[in-house]
Amino acid sequence: MSDTLSFLLMAWLNPGLLGLTALGVLAGIYIGAIPGLSVTMAVSILISFTFSWHIDNALALMVGIYVGGVYGGSRTAILLNIPGAPSAVTTAFDGYPLAQRGEAGRAIGLSTVMSVIGGLIGVLVLAGTAPYLSGLALQFAPRDYFLIAVLGLLLVSSLSGKSLSRGIFSVALGGIIGLVGMDMVTAQPRLTLGQMELLGGIHYVVVMIGLFGVAEALYQLHNLAKVPVKQKVDKIVPPLNMVLKFLPLSVRTSVIGVIVGALPGTGGDIASLFAYDHAKRSVKNPTRPFGEGAYEGLVAPETANNAAVGGAYVPMLTLGMPGDAVTAVIIGALVIHGLNPGPMLMIETPHIFWFTVGNLALANIFLLIFGLTGIKIFSKIVEVPKAVLIPLILVLCVVGTYSINSNMTEVYWMLGFGILGYWLKVFGFQMGPIILGVILGPLLDESYRQAMSSVGDRGGDFLLALVTNPLSLVLTSVITLVLLSNTPLKGWLSRRFGRS
Amino acid sequence: MLKPLFTSLAVSLGSLALASSALADYPQRNIQGTIQWGAGGATDNVVRSLTPHVEEILGTTIVLTNRPGGTGVIGMNHVMRQRADGYNMLFGAENPQLYPLMGLADFTYDDMHTVNIIGQGLVVIAAPENSPFDSFAELLEYAHENPNELRMGGTGAGGLPSTVHAMINAVDELDVRTVTFGGDGPGITAMLGGHIDFMPLSLAAAGEQIRGGKLKGLAILTAEEIESLPGVPPITEALPDIEGFLPWGPFWGVFVHQDTPDEIKATLEDAYEQAVGKEEFTEFLQNFGAEPLNLRGEEAQEYLSNWQSVTAWSMYEADADALEATPEELGIPRP
Repeated sequence: MSDTLSFLLMAWLNPGLLGLTALGVLAGIYIGAIPGLSVTMAVSILISFTFSWHIDNALALMVGIYVGGVYGGSRTAILLNIPGAPSAVTTAFDGYPLAQRGEAGRAIGLSTVMSVIGGLIGVLVLAGTAPYLSGLALQFAPRDYFLIAVLGLLLVSSLSGKSLSRGIFSVALGGIIGLVGMDMVTAQPRLTLGQMELLGGIHYVVVMIGLFGVAEALYQLHNLAKVPVKQKVDKIVPPLNMVLKFLPLSVRTSVIGVIVGALPGTGGDIASLFAYDHAKRSVKNPTRPFGEGAYEGLVAPETANNAAVGGAYVPMLTLGMPGDAVTAVIIGALVIHGLNPGPMLMIETPHIFWFTVGNLALANIFLLIFGLTGIKIFSKIVEVPKAVLIPLILVLCVVGTYSINSNMTEVYWMLGFGILGYWLKVFGFQMGPIILGVILGPLLDESYRQAMSSVGDRGGDFLLALVTNPLSLVLTSVITLVLLSNTPLKGWLSRRFGRS
Repeated sequence: MLKPLFTSLAVSLGSLALASSALADYPQRNIQGTIQWGAGGATDNVVRSLTPHVEEILGTTIVLTNRPGGTGVIGMNHVMRQRADGYNMLFGAENPQLYPLMGLADFTYDDMHTVNIIGQGLVVIAAPENSPFDSFAELLEYAHENPNELRMGGTGAGGLPSTVHAMINAVDELDVRTVTFGGDGPGITAMLGGHIDFMPLSLAAAGEQIRGGKLKGLAILTAEEIESLPGVPPITEALPDIEGFLPWGPFWGVFVHQDTPDEIKATLEDAYEQAVGKEEFTEFLQNFGAEPLNLRGEEAQEYLSNWQSVTAWSMYEADADALEATPEELGIPRP
């Protein structure tokens, strides 16, 4: 027990580790805020950089960057309507309207506090239930991932705004974009137009930067004359009663975040989508309608994506299997430092687990400190004249896209998606469903084919498996209920049985 | 009249001096290293732990970039299109040797210059801990009686599991359902949850799970039992005929443009030979479930050709229809 406590407090008491965690969080916030610069990339660069360091120092820096980076994506989402990372896409839905009302400071303050709450809940779950949660995560068979993807597709109703048919069209478009590349099973090129560069598919961050960054910049040209909203910067730290009011929602969305994060096939991006959807369905009287600056629409994705960090560490620390792309790279770092990430990690090097738990908690404290400072200056970004801001956004988009895979072709694709996105915006299409399709398309393709080949390509057995396995049955029932609740049947049922 | 002549002479002399000093002083600036697989994968891990040793020897920085996609086609294509000045290196795995066969690209490592074949990974056929089979022979027997029932994890056409499956089918018959995953990692995760029955895996990916008792090693793809995995029988116990294909495994290598000046090739070959030979790195490889090879020049070329012919012909014999071209058409000799 005293061992556990000393490992837990290791990062808190050692000035070197404390400093590295702080540095990591600060760097992470800025890396995360720039679209295209990803935490995965920063952490893999750090591997070579920290090669000769002690492993604890390297891990402290990586934890800091991870926590800071996941949060940082929300900054640009709120201020410029350009999510810094896919997990911040939903943050923009209500964050940007808030900034347009002059509440950018309040929005950033609230998102910071909520991120920290989500992050800490994630750490708590990691510390308390890691072995059980990883056992649960392993129970998810390919067919269950298929059901999750189907459930994800149903989110289209939450993300479409006013026109559902436009939303469905957008999801389908996104799905097709997500299918470009080499076929996973047969290694045949699919929708690549004979281009070798397209064999690897179109990276979904490329689509995201184009649709949100460039399209938004182009769209802004419509209202060049509009004077930017003067930002209120006096009430940045959300008052306690506001935090308490959203606490029940943030706990629920954090749990969504941890579980989705712990599943090896899904991460913070999908978690934040589910969380936004949950908020939209469960909050009856939001502060403002969703999509027009509801605080709830900001709280849900921000808690979920930070809680997903703790979740992603669950399979990594207990089994040596990554929960997402960042933990995959951290596993690589452990290997290079001569540790053996696997089921024996917790037995052979028990300090790694508790050290990471303590360090994650510490990183969240630093996130609170750094996140709440400098907001006034950040909020001023919204007041920058468009003539300066728009070119800057375009430059950032190009740099960010190039840095994903150092591939110029992807920059052209990004610009293409920007122009496409602009026209879609003009005709009243939403960008969210397209990203939903790009993220879920490959998951749907992969999991459906895995599930089918598992049962020897017999469709009947596949359908039967969806209702005969407890876990799949739960997911199938949820899907059925969501579908029914969106049909006239719901009204009929409540009329028929509601009164009795 | 004389002045321009002198100028041009001076310029040409100057450029000559520059050219020769560029050769003599290589490397003068940072070297760009392209890894053809993603961050956190086996190739990435090997390269990132080798690079600091090479940087020390060469006295320069090697900037590593992951350019994954298309089974490595994109990364390799990128390096081949760069200038042949030794400032662009490719770090790759075994896949390019099969590109023409799979119809993915018309180039292989023969179209580049091999600096070093770093090492070769060992392959293990693994099953979940509660699997009813204790050896590969038992699994094979069950599969003979119940064709197309067991679920084998795969990573797609041309991936390691499909090649091992092809080798087995070239000497015996193993009729199973192949469930394809995005890589070793997702496959292992599915196996830990009992969603597949077995999967051929690199020891680097599965070693820790076997040691921790979460997975069971049914056979190791060698002719003899190995020290680091006691109790796991060699595959030749179940399939003696497979020995003709062994030793076989995924490998990692360092490559530069074919037209790179010979002096630079030699400098790089020396540096990599020294770095791979370092005890610290050798230990890392062994711990990683791989054996160091450290091959250069002729030896490396021979290794690559041999690997290609063994793999291509076993795939051809197992299922010729799945290939885009026959090994014969591509001029790959029989092993």
